[in-house]
Amino acid sequence: MTPAKTVLIVDDSRVSRMMARQYIAGLHADWIVEEAGTGEESLVKARATPPDLILMDVNMPGMGGIAAAEQLRQEFPAVPISLLTANVQTATRERAAQLGIGFMEKPITEARIAQLLAALEAA
Amino acid sequence: MFSLSELETDALIEIFNIGVGQAAASMSAIVNETVRMSVPSVSFINRTDAARLLDGKAPEAGAICGVSQHYEGAFSTEAILMFPEDKSLEIVRLMVGESVPLKELTEMEQEAMCEIGNIILNSCVGTLANIFQRELHGSLPEYHIGTSDEILIASGSRHDTVVLMLHIDFVLEKHQIHGYVAFVLDISALHDLKEQINLYIARAMGQA
Repeated sequence: MTPAKTVLIVDDSRVSRMMARQYIAGLHADWIVEEAGTGEESLVKARATPPDLILMDVNMPGMGGIAAAEQLRQEFPAVPISLLTANVQTATRERAAQLGIGFMEKPITEARIAQLLAALEAA
Repeated sequence: MFSLSELETDALIEIFNIGVGQAAASMSAIVNETVRMSVPSVSFINRTDAARLLDGKAPEAGAICGVSQHYEGAFSTEAILMFPEDKSLEIVRLMVGESVPLKELTEMEQEAMCEIGNIILNSCVGTLANIFQRELHGSLPEYHIGTSDEILIASGSRHDTVVLMLHIDFVLEKHQIHGYVAFVLDISALHDLKEQINLYIARAMGQA
């Protein structure tokens, strides 16, 4: 039994946040899920409740996901961050690799969320 | 008059075929069922003819809902995903599952369609960008509702704009839902696209 963890979902799509939350709850009912709809909000949420895992969309209004991930990587160097994005371009994957963060393409499925959570548990 | 050689047309179809294959895989993952797609055929027509073509493909359909995204980079384009409006709630239901109450589902219908469009269009366009080895920067998705012509206008296309029309039919087999994708490019963008196609051909022939 792993201790409950906190996952921060950052996505401007309410539907995507809802789906990710639903899959996380299905796999780990006791885990805490925080949500942010923008990059700026993710910084505020992470500072208030430091997460164990951050799932980050890329294309969002205002501060994009890459910039937010870069900032969060500096503030929370030990916290795994994974992009969860429809942007499947090689350039985006390379940027993620440069930042030392993961990459998972959308759509959000239970299998993809399970894979991300399993990596966190194994760490 | 803009034209492509036989080889360029063949390469264009092949590139979009790969892109659309990725989009179909994404669509299939969203709705959790087999998505059948036609081989893309490409034509360059003006907006009015494009709208007529789309209307002719679904004469029984009423309003159409469309999700568009503008891309800049290797070439500029407005990518539009279109579905019959009366099927959009059904598509959203397939995406989010049965657990969400109808009222909540209806409230989030437009937002959910935007996200579906975002995933499908980026899947296709992202694959094109990877093939061209160039980056394409996408805007946030916008939702439109209306006739084909109204959607093409709303997505920024003028009456005389040449539309690179991709005749791709998505069919969700179990639900018999048909969707279409269109790419709108002006003359300048078409020349940029042609240049990218020729670079792709040169790489394929080991000349670049």
